[in-house]
Amino acid sequence: MEKVNAILKNWPLHVSLLAVVVICEVINTITIKTPLGNILFLPMLFAMVFGLLLFLLKPVTWIQEEQSHVASDFVVIGISLFLAKVAVTSGTQLKQVLEAGPALILQELGNLGTIILALPFALLLGFDREAVGMTHSIAREPNVGYVASKYGSSSPEFRGVMMVYITGTLVGTIFLGLLASILGATGILHPYALAMACGVGSGSMMAASSSSLTAAFPAMADQITAYAGTSNVLSNADGIIMTVILGMPMCNFLYRKLHPVIGKGKKSQKGGK
Amino acid sequence: MKKITKETMVQYLLIFFIAAIMTMIGNCINTVTDKNPDTFVSILDGIPGLLILMAIALVSSILGFLVPKVPTIVWITIIGILLAMPYNTITGPVVAEQVGKLGLLPLCTPVLAYAGVSIGKDWVEFKRIGWRGILVALLVMVGTYLGSAIVAQIILSAQHII
Repeated sequence: MEKVNAILKNWPLHVSLLAVVVICEVINTITIKTPLGNILFLPMLFAMVFGLLLFLLKPVTWIQEEQSHVASDFVVIGISLFLAKVAVTSGTQLKQVLEAGPALILQELGNLGTIILALPFALLLGFDREAVGMTHSIAREPNVGYVASKYGSSSPEFRGVMMVYITGTLVGTIFLGLLASILGATGILHPYALAMACGVGSGSMMAASSSSLTAAFPAMADQITAYAGTSNVLSNADGIIMTVILGMPMCNFLYRKLHPVIGKGKKSQKGGK
Repeated sequence: MKKITKETMVQYLLIFFIAAIMTMIGNCINTVTDKNPDTFVSILDGIPGLLILMAIALVSSILGFLVPKVPTIVWITIIGILLAMPYNTITGPVVAEQVGKLGLLPLCTPVLAYAGVSIGKDWVEFKRIGWRGILVALLVMVGTYLGSAIVAQIILSAQHII
């Protein structure tokens, strides 16, 4: 019962995080008014920052490397409760979800937008083959596994995918939460369209971005949750297939076209297989 | 890892239980501090909804172990929809009402507090990535998000849903 003991033994971790939750919920959402509209800082975003601070602060001796691993398991398993809430909300909104089926399915192709936007920048910033690993997908666990098996774990492509994976893990949740809030505030895209974009295949990223939208548009909250949840399940289901048949080939194609023009050194034209 | 043992079951239950207690308390405070007196949910009022969510999560996790080809999140979604959809007149109304007492935000707060601690171990590596790598990573996220939102906007407009 090693894993169970690890959870029980680390009760100071749970008590500290309960205190964090209480403090964050007491503060509740902080709204910053900007000329564009209101940007929301949600309790869950402070909670994540406080959690990281507890780990980094030296005097907090009861939250260190070992507890960090316990917390990892906790995130993977504990997020199921949130996902169950999203599923129940999707159930109550089943009619609307089915009606929006075509949009929910086709928006999955929008995930390829990362290649169009980020690959040219990566090349301009001087990345070479790393750029393909970095920009072929949003780099969650299945993509890391795919790049490792295709190019090997000492390849530049793998270094690239790991950079985006680690950045995504550390700041992705908070960043997507704020991005959804800012885009919602501008009013250019409809909250339902933004909701469907929240499903990027990561539970915590979907949680932060969709909650930012529900907090900003409370009257549409249930439908936003249902669309975000369904699109996230679709991304989980089709994500890696999309990467293998579309994302990676398209990224390599664009790399071969762009690298001679804007790439650093401009000579290596080999590209991927 | 993909083997179902008594230990994994106890581990899952324990984690659900701790997360549920934190959510229960956080949810109650959240309904006080959101300054809307009509939405107050006491700590006890949240229990039935949390028990339903725990049951969905537990059954889905077991199915995830038994049928490893189908990820747990897909099971959660199928079971959650079946229990709560309006066509299901037996459990639908109860599930929708009880789970409705729990806010979306307070359900995320405990998990993300743990996520903060869990990312601590990657902090050293993160600092080594450098600003160019971080910039590209942020653009990757903007690209995925905007790309999907724009496609969704076009289709939803074409269908006259928005």
